[in-house]
Amino acid sequence: MSKAIVYLNQFFGQIGGEDVADHEPEIRDKKVGAAMLYDQLLDADVTHTIICGDNFVGSKEEEAIDRILGFLEDKEFDIFFAGPAFQAGRYGNACGAIGKAVKEEFDVPVISSMNEENPGVDMYKKDIYIFPGGQSAAKMKDDVTKMVEFGNKILNGEKLLPAEEEGYFIRGIRHQYFLPDETPAYERAIDMLLKKINNEEYVSELPIPELDTVKIADPIEDLSKITVALVTSGGIVPIDNPDRIQSASATRWGKYYIDDVDQLQNRRQEAFKTIHAGYDPAAADTDPNRVVPVDAMRKYEEVGKIGKLYKYFYSTVGTGTTQGEAARMGQEITEELLEDGVQAVILTST
Amino acid sequence: MKLELGNFHVEDIEFGNETTFNDGLLTIDKEEALEVVYKDEHITEADLKIVKPGDMVRLVPVKEAIEPRYREEGGPVFPGVTGDLMQAGDGRTLAMKDMSVLVVGKHWGGFQDGLIDMGGEGAKYTYFSQLKNVVLVADTDEDFEKHEQQKKNRALRWAGMRLSEYLGKALKDKEPDEVETYTLDPITKRSEEVSELPSVVMVMQPQSQMEEPGYNDLNYGWDTNNMLPTFMHPNEVLDGAMISGSFMPCSSKWSTYDMQNFPLIRRLYEEHGETINFIGVIMSNLNVAMEQKERSAQFVAQMAKSLGADAALVAEEGYGNPDADYIGCLVALEDAGVKTVGVSNEATGRDGGSQPLVSLDPKADALVSTGNVSELIKLPPMDTVIGELEALARDGLSGGWDDDEVLGSSVKKDGSIVMENNSMFCGDQIAGWSTKTMKEY
Repeated sequence: MSKAIVYLNQFFGQIGGEDVADHEPEIRDKKVGAAMLYDQLLDADVTHTIICGDNFVGSKEEEAIDRILGFLEDKEFDIFFAGPAFQAGRYGNACGAIGKAVKEEFDVPVISSMNEENPGVDMYKKDIYIFPGGQSAAKMKDDVTKMVEFGNKILNGEKLLPAEEEGYFIRGIRHQYFLPDETPAYERAIDMLLKKINNEEYVSELPIPELDTVKIADPIEDLSKITVALVTSGGIVPIDNPDRIQSASATRWGKYYIDDVDQLQNRRQEAFKTIHAGYDPAAADTDPNRVVPVDAMRKYEEVGKIGKLYKYFYSTVGTGTTQGEAARMGQEITEELLEDGVQAVILTST
Repeated sequence: MKLELGNFHVEDIEFGNETTFNDGLLTIDKEEALEVVYKDEHITEADLKIVKPGDMVRLVPVKEAIEPRYREEGGPVFPGVTGDLMQAGDGRTLAMKDMSVLVVGKHWGGFQDGLIDMGGEGAKYTYFSQLKNVVLVADTDEDFEKHEQQKKNRALRWAGMRLSEYLGKALKDKEPDEVETYTLDPITKRSEEVSELPSVVMVMQPQSQMEEPGYNDLNYGWDTNNMLPTFMHPNEVLDGAMISGSFMPCSSKWSTYDMQNFPLIRRLYEEHGETINFIGVIMSNLNVAMEQKERSAQFVAQMAKSLGADAALVAEEGYGNPDADYIGCLVALEDAGVKTVGVSNEATGRDGGSQPLVSLDPKADALVSTGNVSELIKLPPMDTVIGELEALARDGLSGGWDDDEVLGSSVKKDGSIVMENNSMFCGDQIAGWSTKTMKEY
């Protein structure tokens, strides 16, 4: 009998809710919570359950991965399941990050499930099999069933079909495929050509990802009368991170009042720090103005180069953040700025 | 221009005392046929074999495939190549269908050569396993390229053409099973009914990337590297104006047989007067330098526009570097307002994760994919090998190797093989036959 291991978060691993989201990674040599469902459906024994708090992975991803890979080092397993994570962003990120690491380290099939809105989908669909799942735990049985059916196919050595037939999110992995109806390329080409000529819908066999290029704005002739805002994806936040912006794969942003300061105070002064997990924070923690240059902008105000620095700066984290989430946050921030008469933005990245 | 192709279905092939064709049976006087092959003093050894669909036979290194034909009014089947230059595409040409002449190296292969399995699980990877084939297996004294990865294969390819013409003569004065008629009125002289239909051009990008003569596809004997895009009647392509070259990983190539039968052209003909007005063929090429690529794309777009094309089909004989010519041409046509569909293969790597084409552009929004050149294929040993199996591993075939850290040699001691699709003989069938596509996994 094949062996499987299941990864769950603190909630589905029956530790508790949000209050224990910092729960450290642990492995149990039995089936816990949702792992029982896997065991019922799977053509394999679920030998272990790994449980970890979503916040633990979110804030200490590297440590979480190291510890979990350590748990698995001496275990025998043929397949690994993570989730389902539904629409829970942090859980999706955890399933993806852990799943990817397990796949790379042990080269076993890794299967997860997430709702299409879960940012973990775009982040990890290239690395592991992710099936489209429901929005909430009400879909637990359906989602696990989809994952297990596919897992069973792999375990039983059955021929795997293309993604569109198996149902998982496409991964950018393309292989040649003999069409069962043997429609030759010349028929497909003529069919596509006639449809294109007649403005009918057709499906290109090689879809090219659309590049969402944004036109560079026209230069502003006179800055001396306008209000300029600072916006950053560099993760500068007040030291208690009041908006709980994620350190990676952010879905949230914050705005912080600076009208009364000449420059940003640093972490030691218990003012601002970075929560960005994608670069060495030492320099930004020492001087957050190097990411959000309030000090320089004040100088420009003084000499009349700009009219005014806007009273808030906006911040989020750019690392691992999906294009979709980034665009949404950008739109939300822009709406506020426009409403308040801001005419220009300096966007700093890291 | 009116081309009549008189088709004779070859039901069986055998060796006999006289080369004749009667009631579907092609009989070959082997000795006389080999005399034709030996007319080139560079041929040092030659033999003929007959292989049929389902035979447990592996052919490697395969260099060329040709359909035997006979030009009724006289003249060479391949004008400017096997004889004097003359106009192809007008008149009556007799053709042996359901068969080809395959040219196989007795020993030595190269980058551009391929493999065919006539039976077993490997048969599906090439078109030629469905045909009855007369196999010329031969060696030459072209020592200068014996150990070169890139081979011109001149003596062998020309011997194949001579042999095909020799066999085709057996059709002389015979009544074909059926006659296909291909004709297009001059573009400005077409009926209102036809002229009102959407006008379509076929754009061909034959392989022409070698600077040195002797490797590229030939157009009436002229090296396509020395050519700017030019307008041709589709009948010329179907009637021997174009011959295959000896460059490019094999699965991406068009054999001369592919040129003679070019399925995309035939399919456009079927639609002519029904759903489209088939303008003709813009014969482009594939280049090395960026400016050459851009120049060709510019010529194609201008020509399509000047000819009044509303739409175009573009097919690329190759992958990798020439993808830039392919995408460049598709984009130039779209920019000129010509609705374009492209046909080519992809190179997504053994793991399927690589970028499918070297160059991508969102304007190339209607593509037909015919295969992955780097798909890994493992095949069991075959009862018989024609040619030399070791060539797959030894001679730098594009889909073979002599040593791989994980996979070892392409050729195993028991005769089984592991190779990339790259070396399947014209396997991606970009001329239009391919029943393969690409899917996300």
